[in-house]
Amino acid sequence: MNRIRSISMLAWLVAGMVCTWVGVWAVGWLSLTGLPTSQDMLLGVGFLITSVSAGVWMMRLRRDQQAALRYFKRLSHVEPRDLGLEDQPVNLPVLSEANAWRRVAERLQRTAAEHGQRIEQAEHARGVAEAKMQRLRKSNEQLRAILDDLQEPVIAIDAFDELVLTNASARELFCVDVDGLEQQAIESIVQCKTLVEAMLDTRRRKTSTQRSTELEIGIDDQSKWYHVSTRTIPSMAADDTHRHGAVAVLRDVSGHKAAQKRNAEFVSSVSHEMKTPLAGIRAYAELLADGDAEDDAAQEEFLRVILTQTDRLQRLVDNLLNLARIEAGVVNVSKQPCSLNEVLEEAFQVVQPTAEAKQIELTSELSPLYLGALIDRDMILQLAINLLSNAIKYTPQGGAVRFRSRMKDNEVIFEVEDTGVGLSEEDREKVFEKFYRVKKDRKMAQGTGLGLPLAKHIVEDMHAGQIEVQSTLGRGSTFQVSLPSSGQINHSSS
Amino acid sequence: MGQRILLCDDEVHILRATEIKLSRAGFDVVCALDGEEAWEEIERTRPDLLITDCQMPRLDGVGLVKRIRSCQATRDIPVLMLTAKGFELERDDVVTRCGVKAIMAKPFSPRELLQCAQDVLTHGEIQQKPMLQMD
Repeated sequence: MNRIRSISMLAWLVAGMVCTWVGVWAVGWLSLTGLPTSQDMLLGVGFLITSVSAGVWMMRLRRDQQAALRYFKRLSHVEPRDLGLEDQPVNLPVLSEANAWRRVAERLQRTAAEHGQRIEQAEHARGVAEAKMQRLRKSNEQLRAILDDLQEPVIAIDAFDELVLTNASARELFCVDVDGLEQQAIESIVQCKTLVEAMLDTRRRKTSTQRSTELEIGIDDQSKWYHVSTRTIPSMAADDTHRHGAVAVLRDVSGHKAAQKRNAEFVSSVSHEMKTPLAGIRAYAELLADGDAEDDAAQEEFLRVILTQTDRLQRLVDNLLNLARIEAGVVNVSKQPCSLNEVLEEAFQVVQPTAEAKQIELTSELSPLYLGALIDRDMILQLAINLLSNAIKYTPQGGAVRFRSRMKDNEVIFEVEDTGVGLSEEDREKVFEKFYRVKKDRKMAQGTGLGLPLAKHIVEDMHAGQIEVQSTLGRGSTFQVSLPSSGQINHSSS
Repeated sequence: MGQRILLCDDEVHILRATEIKLSRAGFDVVCALDGEEAWEEIERTRPDLLITDCQMPRLDGVGLVKRIRSCQATRDIPVLMLTAKGFELERDDVVTRCGVKAIMAKPFSPRELLQCAQDVLTHGEIQQKPMLQMD
């Protein structure tokens, strides 16, 4: 079809050229011969037809060109992705079959449509990538939030010993202000040589390794013990399978260490406390066996010491067992209405010989009123003995201990006041903690660090009472116990 | 007059038991309740032997021995040490640095203590070391 059209156009062109040539030739000839002949007329008609044909052809050409221009103009405003590869977009003009520009237009439209399709694919891929990136970013943020929430400091380095990750605990512990994104050498940031060496040592291992050690990190009093677990991690670079980084996770074991130390001190203390009465029992038993008692009075004295020391040993064992029972939650409390003064008087009698031996003035100022309380008699007796023994222990020779009781509102109160070494504010807060012993007074007297914790348990957990201490360092302490009253106010029979 | 032994312990009943055992063996026994009191006694009477507890108020046994060793006049007094301490007492440290002849762990036998005291005062050394026990 196109070929026929081309031949037709060529024919029109050749005809037009011939007619033009004939016309020119005729005008030339007329100008020489004068009047036109019938042959001249024929030539004129031919010339006219040729001219009209050429005009018509030119007009058709222009019309096609304008249609094509409109088409291209409209095409330039159409988004490439809106062009389908097969369908004709509705908003584009249609070029006729005869339009010479039609093939160009079709080629251009197809190219634009392909371009549009590629854009659409790229945008889709970009969308997917962005969504993935968003998910990764969120996941990363979540991981960092989880890491930051961890109390355990976490630090990671890459194959070049550069810090690539720290969590909030690690930043706080090592006073650093970088989260690892800056990738600086760990040695220049973390000022803890032992930890850095442990991490570098792990990182240098050729195979996957996990190691753990315990390190003391910090300065003097601020230092803490950490269980440090270091392990190799894969390299950040995807193509680097030979080298790896290392991560260290630190766990604060100071509490555990302190508990171990306290336990060791406790065992040592208990052992000492047990050995001292045992030493007395053994020594006097041997003296008796060797016949070293000169007379009956001496023999009696030796036996009395053995009995006293046996009681002392029993008290210690009772204290230990009571505490163990309380901690195991298997305490049988048998509360009965009792006269508090009677129990206190008994405790007073128990400790009086110790006070006398140490030349401490022990005075009883118990209330003349009947102080009724619903109490476990043995426990309150133990409590009063513990408080009085402590007061005597920590009061220097020649000092005084006062033992008082009274009624206040709906409570019965007793207190032990001494002129002893007293407690600092820090020690006041801690004396009721298990195994805690005032450091500066340890040499002054033996103790298990159990008496006051036991007292607190007995008063607060078993009797819904309250135990308080008032103290001035170097001047003495007053321990006050308040218990709910249950009795009537009568004059004591004693 | 027998040789003089200074006993130092804050536990009165242990002091008394040891005093009885040593006195009956013919020694002249002097007692002190803590390190400071013992030091005053040492300065005053120069005993031939010191038997001291380790853990005492005011001045403990190790402090007392160090003070004795630092003074020209008392540095040669032999010392036996008693202790109820366990693992935290570094035996070698006390024995080698302070020149303690022996450390006896509580509960101890007064009979063995007397034997040790006699050995030290007669021979200058403990003759039967296996008798001594350490934790």
